[in-house]
Amino acid sequence: MSALSIPAFILIVITAMVILIFRDWRINAIALAVQYLAAFLLITLSWPIGMAVVKLIVGWMATAAISITLLRQNPPEDSSESVSSLLFRGLAGLLVILTIFILAPTLRETLFPNLETVILQGGLMLIGMALMQLGTNSDPLMTIFSLLSLLSGFEVIHAGLETSTLLTGLLAIVNLGLALVGVYFIIKTTEREGLTDQEEHP
Amino acid sequence: MRLSTPILWVIFPLFISALAAAFYKRRLVSILLTSLTCFCLALLAAVFPENMILSISPLTLVFEDSLTILGRQITIAYEILPFITLIYAMTGLWALSSGIAGAPQMFRPISLAITSLLTSALGVEPFLYAALLIETAVLVSIPMLSPVSQKTHPGILRYLTVQTLALPLILLAGWLLAGVETLPADSPLVTQAAIVLGLGIAVWLSVFPFHSWMPMISERANPLATSFLFFIMPTTTMVFGLYFLDRYAFLRDLPELYESLSYVGVTMIIFGGAWTAFQNNLKRAFSFSVLVETGFSILAVGLSEQGGLTWMLALIPIRAIEFWLWGYLLTLIEKKTGSLEIHAVQGLARQYPILSAGLLLVQFSVAGLPLLAVFPIKIAVLTESFKLSSALGVWCFIGSLGLILFSIRLLFSLVTPKEGIVPQRWRRSEKLFEYLPALIIILLLIISGFFPNTFFSDIINILSAFNHLQ
Repeated sequence: MSALSIPAFILIVITAMVILIFRDWRINAIALAVQYLAAFLLITLSWPIGMAVVKLIVGWMATAAISITLLRQNPPEDSSESVSSLLFRGLAGLLVILTIFILAPTLRETLFPNLETVILQGGLMLIGMALMQLGTNSDPLMTIFSLLSLLSGFEVIHAGLETSTLLTGLLAIVNLGLALVGVYFIIKTTEREGLTDQEEHP
Repeated sequence: MRLSTPILWVIFPLFISALAAAFYKRRLVSILLTSLTCFCLALLAAVFPENMILSISPLTLVFEDSLTILGRQITIAYEILPFITLIYAMTGLWALSSGIAGAPQMFRPISLAITSLLTSALGVEPFLYAALLIETAVLVSIPMLSPVSQKTHPGILRYLTVQTLALPLILLAGWLLAGVETLPADSPLVTQAAIVLGLGIAVWLSVFPFHSWMPMISERANPLATSFLFFIMPTTTMVFGLYFLDRYAFLRDLPELYESLSYVGVTMIIFGGAWTAFQNNLKRAFSFSVLVETGFSILAVGLSEQGGLTWMLALIPIRAIEFWLWGYLLTLIEKKTGSLEIHAVQGLARQYPILSAGLLLVQFSVAGLPLLAVFPIKIAVLTESFKLSSALGVWCFIGSLGLILFSIRLLFSLVTPKEGIVPQRWRRSEKLFEYLPALIIILLLIISGFFPNTFFSDIINILSAFNHLQ
């Protein structure tokens, strides 16, 4: 599995950049699903496959829940993206990549001496890109995608530090919960017009 | 028959919450189901025997204080029951009053689910797993704060983001803490662990500058829902924080810890007070006042050596009833005026004198006005701050002045008739079922101010659950 660690890391960088740059939910959902696969490959460096596969299944379930809801609701497309905004986000992403490459060795030395560099870099890359996305976007769907990426990045690092069945289970609940919140936001946006008042009138 | 306390105070309320969610459109059923469950659980926690054996005629129920799930334990010890009593009683009160117009339909089941999740967070072992339960409570709270009828506003996204950021920090701190327990106190790893943990708890408590979601949410969401959230989340986090202090000797012995906490607390009091003073929206002012309250709690923990933990705990029940009253009154007033901008409530006291008086009273009570419930505790915290450092005390006082300034602005606004309108005669337009609950709580606030040690003193007993903090 260690032979796959570098391709997994490259996949993480590419998918994280795609999610950061593009706003089309179809592209982002595919990128997120691939990102979970890459994260799974990195987790297998620390955990047995049987346990690591839980993260993959949960991640794909979360992505599927959001994607299916989006397919059914068919939200309006935003075609007003300018090239300059794509370029700006691309450059911001490159800045994050550069920062991670600079920070990772120091962090490994001071905080995580037992962690493989590729795991740390992969996890930090997901966290960094997600934070950049969260800081530059206020769209509910993109926020959920970013939070899922952020948790995925943390799980990659945490898997290298600790193994716990209950923790894996609870993190799975949190990931699925986040996806459900995403579904709630999507449904809310599309169904809101049909509802005039959900408040109670005694 | 053998049972366990987590089944009673975690599993059972979660089940009732799911049941109430199924009946969320049947207002009366949902209110009765949630509030009765909460009050019964609170009563049971209040009278629960120390030997954990309940005899009801022929039936004898033997309780264990822990429940094992996937090799880990949830423990609800006898010592923590006064806190459980308080949070369930208050959740019951919130649920009971949620029948008023404007409250979200899902508020009742969600509030009960949040309380049971946070109860389990207090008892899970290893207790760092509580971070995941608290995150689950955050996720559950979303439909309560942003109902289907409302557009998803940036505040709710920021709340979700900020609270989710705390999760990795706390879990990472847990891993770091496990490694540093045996290290000498001057090891750099000890400081790193303390910083990561402090950052995680600061994010949870919405310490400045992680507070920005609070006014944003407060402005858009229903006041009853936000007041519940602003009470239950920081309060449980504060108690949860005590577990860290109790468990890790190196944290307790860190010389800079208490000083840093004092400065963080005072910073929150200053910023919260200053922001409150200049707010023109009552809901936003409420959220900034919450910052001041959290600041006082953190300052009290910083004054642990002077007995601050007792004050921190003593503030909890008074804060609970203040926040409830605040949420209840703001919900009612918003429904009547359509807005909670300070100009929109101008002259309100001439039509709704009891509601207006209640709002002023709770505002002055939070500000720490003498003879009101919170005064004896806040004056003790202020006095000790002055003793520790006069600068600390002065800044603390200035922050509190911000709350008083806003209260005075509110007073003028409520009694001054609107410009260009012939002044209305003073009359009472409130209905009995609207003002009676508020009136009872107002009287409770006043009486508990006159007799500070008579009410709510039981909560201090939970300190016995923390062997090293007494």
